[in-house]
Amino acid sequence: MTSITLPSNKVVMRSLLRADFTTQWRNRKSFILILIVPVIILLSWKGLVDKFGGAFVLSNCITVGLTAIGLMGYSNSVARDREKGIFQRLRVAPVAPSSIMVSRLCVQLAMILLMTTAVFIGGSYFDQITLTPMGYLLGYFTAFVGGAVYLGLGQMVVGLIKNAETVHSTSRLIYFIFIMVGMFGELGVLGKQIGDLVKYSPYGTVKHILASSFQPGTWDKSSTIALLLTIGYATIFSVLGIRWFRWNAAK
Amino acid sequence: MNQAVLEVTGLNIFYGQFQAVKDVSFSVYAGEIFGLLGPNGAGKTSSLSAVEGLLKPASGSIHVGGYDNAKNPLNARANMGVQLQATSFQSELTVSEIVNLYAGIYGVSLTNENLRDILTSIKLQNDGRKRFGELSGGQQQRVSLVIAMIHQPPLVLLDEPTSGLDPQSRRQLWERMEILREKGHGILLTTHSMEEAEAICDRIAIIDHGQIVTTDVPANLIEKNRNRPEVIRASRRGKITLEDVFIGLTGQEIRS
Repeated sequence: MTSITLPSNKVVMRSLLRADFTTQWRNRKSFILILIVPVIILLSWKGLVDKFGGAFVLSNCITVGLTAIGLMGYSNSVARDREKGIFQRLRVAPVAPSSIMVSRLCVQLAMILLMTTAVFIGGSYFDQITLTPMGYLLGYFTAFVGGAVYLGLGQMVVGLIKNAETVHSTSRLIYFIFIMVGMFGELGVLGKQIGDLVKYSPYGTVKHILASSFQPGTWDKSSTIALLLTIGYATIFSVLGIRWFRWNAAK
Repeated sequence: MNQAVLEVTGLNIFYGQFQAVKDVSFSVYAGEIFGLLGPNGAGKTSSLSAVEGLLKPASGSIHVGGYDNAKNPLNARANMGVQLQATSFQSELTVSEIVNLYAGIYGVSLTNENLRDILTSIKLQNDGRKRFGELSGGQQQRVSLVIAMIHQPPLVLLDEPTSGLDPQSRRQLWERMEILREKGHGILLTTHSMEEAEAICDRIAIIDHGQIVTTDVPANLIEKNRNRPEVIRASRRGKITLEDVFIGLTGQEIRS
């Protein structure tokens, strides 16, 4: 029996991507649920567009969508597949662990792209919020940067918690806290102190860079600080998430 | 003796302070079915996990198809096909999609005709569009075995492949294993079924408390140990079986 040579990375990656995107497509109901919240906020905040501006409304909606993708979509799918042993099956094949994760992340990046586009279209259609081409372009870029924070946070959750059910409930709880404290804190409903805290929280910094990128002319020093903080959060969450992550759900 | 497709030498595995595998060595040759038997917690899953590359041993070496598992893990994995204890494919994907996914991962290009032949070989020719989660346990096991063999690897690892199968499916799986052996594949099989080990294994290693107690062909194992008092005590029907030898060598107490 002859020895077998390794397949090329390109072929392996293409197979993984096709499988991961197909799986995501078959689970499209859960993605639609993830999309519903930002779209509902978009519709219900129509009255706030005149008061706070279109960039404020759009940035909040996208931040909520990013939180949902990272915490509800990514962490839950990783926890579920880990518990089913899907990762272990892939790892006994000639696949580098990094390829498995890169393929998963590509799916999430596509989800971010879709969600951001849906919010842009909804904003234009329902609330007549339009941006300059540069605003849209930078908006997509900052959505990816902001998405990294929540994907990192999702990674941290699956790194810390092995049980899929516990990951599910924990990520829902964090999601709920983030959007409630984030949105109401932003609006000043929770008082000045909480409002200041929210400004520098992952919610606040992501929302800030999104809002500034939609109107590139408004980008200032505070936007740069928010961008640096966002990158910092994304790095810390990702590094800890990767370090704590175990491929096997068993102890 | 044929060429060794798996060589495990001086394997030691620790979980913290606890040593699960102690200086384990064995080889699996092309064209043989090698059974690794042991009670729960004896160290067989740990040894198998190390061969699969899921667990890093503290010391020792593992060579698969001539590739060092530590130095060339991907090459070593490319030279083995694995059927894990729990079937573990994406339940949202169809049977055809799963076969295509793993064909791609192992670098096997499949035409539609190839795919049809593969599905026919496991009697799932009409179920290619069925999602994996919709298959019965026996059908899932067949898909799992065909995936393990999709790249015709020199070494096939089967971790309790017949557990939970009905007698018909089990017999069918034995026949598939025998066909693989005839084609020259080396098979490492773990099982709790002594009947299975006796029926299809060419050689058997019994592992207990992390150490290999004995390695031999089934008939010799019975012959060598038939007069041991603990084996006679374990015998229930007067005739000494492999199970009696196994119980005699590993003890009567239930392991966790």
